[in-house]
Amino acid sequence: MLGLTFLLVMLGCMVTAAQADSLETIRHRGELVWGADAEGGGPYVYPRDDDPTQVQGFEVELAQVLAARLGVRARFAQGQWEKLPDLLQRGDIDIVLNGYEWKEVWAERFGTTIPYYVYELQMLVRRNDERFERLEDLRQAADGKFRIAVLGGSAAENHVRDHFSGTAAPVLFEGNTDAMRAVELAIDGVDATLQDLPIVTFYESRFSQLRRLGEPVAPGYYVILARREDESLVRALNAAILESWQDGTIPAVLGRYGLWNETQRRRGLLTDERGNFRPDPPAGQSAAAAGAERGGSRPLTLLRRMPLLLQGAVITVLLSVASMPLAIVAGLLVAIGRLYGPTLLRYPLGWYVEITRGTPLVLQLYVLFFLLPELGLSLPALAAAILGLAGNYAAYEAEIYRAGLQAIPRGQMEAALSLGMSRGLALRRIVVPQAVRLVIPPVTNDFIALFKDTAVCSVITVVELSKQYYIHAQSTGAVIELGCVTALFYLAMSYPLTILVRRLERRLAEGPRHD
Amino acid sequence: MIELVDIHKRYGETDVLRGVSLMVRDGEVCVLLGPSGGGKSTLLRTINGLESFDRGRIRVDELELTATGPRDQVLAQIRRRVGMVFQQFNLFPHRSVLENVTEAPRHVLGMSRDEAEAEGKELLCRVGLADKLHARPATLSGGQQQRVAIARALAMKPRAMLFDEPTSALDPRMTAEVISAITDLARGGQTMIVVTHALGFARGVANTVHVMHEGRLAESGAPEEIFERPRHAATRAFLAEVGPEAARH
Repeated sequence: MLGLTFLLVMLGCMVTAAQADSLETIRHRGELVWGADAEGGGPYVYPRDDDPTQVQGFEVELAQVLAARLGVRARFAQGQWEKLPDLLQRGDIDIVLNGYEWKEVWAERFGTTIPYYVYELQMLVRRNDERFERLEDLRQAADGKFRIAVLGGSAAENHVRDHFSGTAAPVLFEGNTDAMRAVELAIDGVDATLQDLPIVTFYESRFSQLRRLGEPVAPGYYVILARREDESLVRALNAAILESWQDGTIPAVLGRYGLWNETQRRRGLLTDERGNFRPDPPAGQSAAAAGAERGGSRPLTLLRRMPLLLQGAVITVLLSVASMPLAIVAGLLVAIGRLYGPTLLRYPLGWYVEITRGTPLVLQLYVLFFLLPELGLSLPALAAAILGLAGNYAAYEAEIYRAGLQAIPRGQMEAALSLGMSRGLALRRIVVPQAVRLVIPPVTNDFIALFKDTAVCSVITVVELSKQYYIHAQSTGAVIELGCVTALFYLAMSYPLTILVRRLERRLAEGPRHD
Repeated sequence: MIELVDIHKRYGETDVLRGVSLMVRDGEVCVLLGPSGGGKSTLLRTINGLESFDRGRIRVDELELTATGPRDQVLAQIRRRVGMVFQQFNLFPHRSVLENVTEAPRHVLGMSRDEAEAEGKELLCRVGLADKLHARPATLSGGQQQRVAIARALAMKPRAMLFDEPTSALDPRMTAEVISAITDLARGGQTMIVVTHALGFARGVANTVHVMHEGRLAESGAPEEIFERPRHAATRAFLAEVGPEAARH
């Protein structure tokens, strides 16, 4: 009881600490901690060539300029791009400064500064793709929909949904360069990508097989996010941005990265009574995206997301039930090959197991999806995901089976052989059935683990349950409500599985009936 | 019908078999005796290829197995003709008693299920297990399990049977039932080679007794000769050690 009280008091203190004025804390600390993602982050934030432990980019310089105006140093904190708002909410970072466009939903949850940059969206297609001459060509009906690669949860995704609905579908990537590579190699039938203009400017030379299609569209505002209660921090940052624009510091930074253009003059400066930015006149794209968020009460908004979460759950189930049987069969074959196969086969199979177990699943999926096309083998995302999961888990199943097979006494094989059975028949009828019974519990555990590992597949554009959750938690801000629903979905799927397997286990323990 | 000629085998640094030659005629019951580590079991297991050998040759009827020649094809043939019963029974725990017996006839000989089951039931009847057809091996006593193992081997209608210490894993109460099953079989004219430490059983069942010592046959002969007038020092030492009482039973 005393312990619990103590814990509550501690929690209380922490909450109070988080609520104290951050500007004061920052000044006292002498550091402004700004969150961004250096992965594929040019020209915003990316590792330096001469010292890859340090970051460079126009946002790095901007952070330094603004921090200096607050009288402190800037400290970079790495975070996954779509999780940066969560890090901010947790208090790990003071601000998010990483190409976040102003949106109604951010404005509802966070403090937003005046813009530091006006971005536009640029469509890219393959240089040799003669189907497209103008942007309009993507709005012409064709056989099936065009596939446009976008960063999941970005303004580009919304733009594709709002302005190309009917003729094109967004394919969600987790990195800008991944999306561009997908177009270049026509991975999974991707035709085009819609990117923020700064990214196009920066990476254009690297993706020489791509060309711009049409003029930039849909201007929007990059703003800095701060916690809702940090009013004084937002005001101080607004002042810092304004001063840095006026004395030419920010234009100079932008110029160095080739990001200066006339559109920057349309930067909005209006704020509400709390110092938060208000677009005026509303920027076309952001307003349209925000418009989609409106229309209905909050419960209704959340209710509309349910079918999409359910759709994600279907993908999750599909990935699991398609890949696990493959993994089990392949794993058994690998184990048998390693134990009973010719030496020539044993070594490669051993390497396969070691390499697969020794490298992360996410890397394997990435190789399957993005690098195999370089060798001319392009797999659809779902196929790559199923193959990747199956191949990865096959290595683990193989080791489980190997242990299981080795646990069967040698006398079983000898008895079978002495009855005139061939090795293959003895394995099939006598040894493997006994080993399978032994390995059911560990294989079950792996099935449940695989079920959850399907979440990783979002790196190769497969939008399964957890990705759907992130997308809709981001766009509605209903992190907790949708989080609970998502967790329920996962439980609702894994619990029957557990029951089923337990029943199977019991039945196998009793042995087969007499048929 | 079984002939072993000059069989040699090395395990690393140890010579396990050092030139063993042995002949078993049709219908003969041949017992291998001798101290542990003498190579009896190893010799038995070379006959159906559970152990390889380095020199010599083995003939089962017209089938010949050599140390270096092709093995798989010949072994498959030999194993269909030579059944084996193990010290640890090695029954298939995931199958019922009847399924243990019908497994090989059905899947090696391609016999129909009805036929295999009819024969299986008859065999299990003969070893006194007609009431255990659908039991799991784990629910049986050691003696019962070994009798199932005998029926399982017999189901392939082998020309010869190999018994590898069939009673060593049994407690004395169960030994008798297994010995009686094997003795019945011997009286029926079944060719067999038996490795055992049960001297009374050996004396009662054998036509010929071979004493193995340090990888060689020390002495061979009719049971009365070996037990009453052992000539070789190794035989005398072995009989003295195992106990004269055992020899008399």
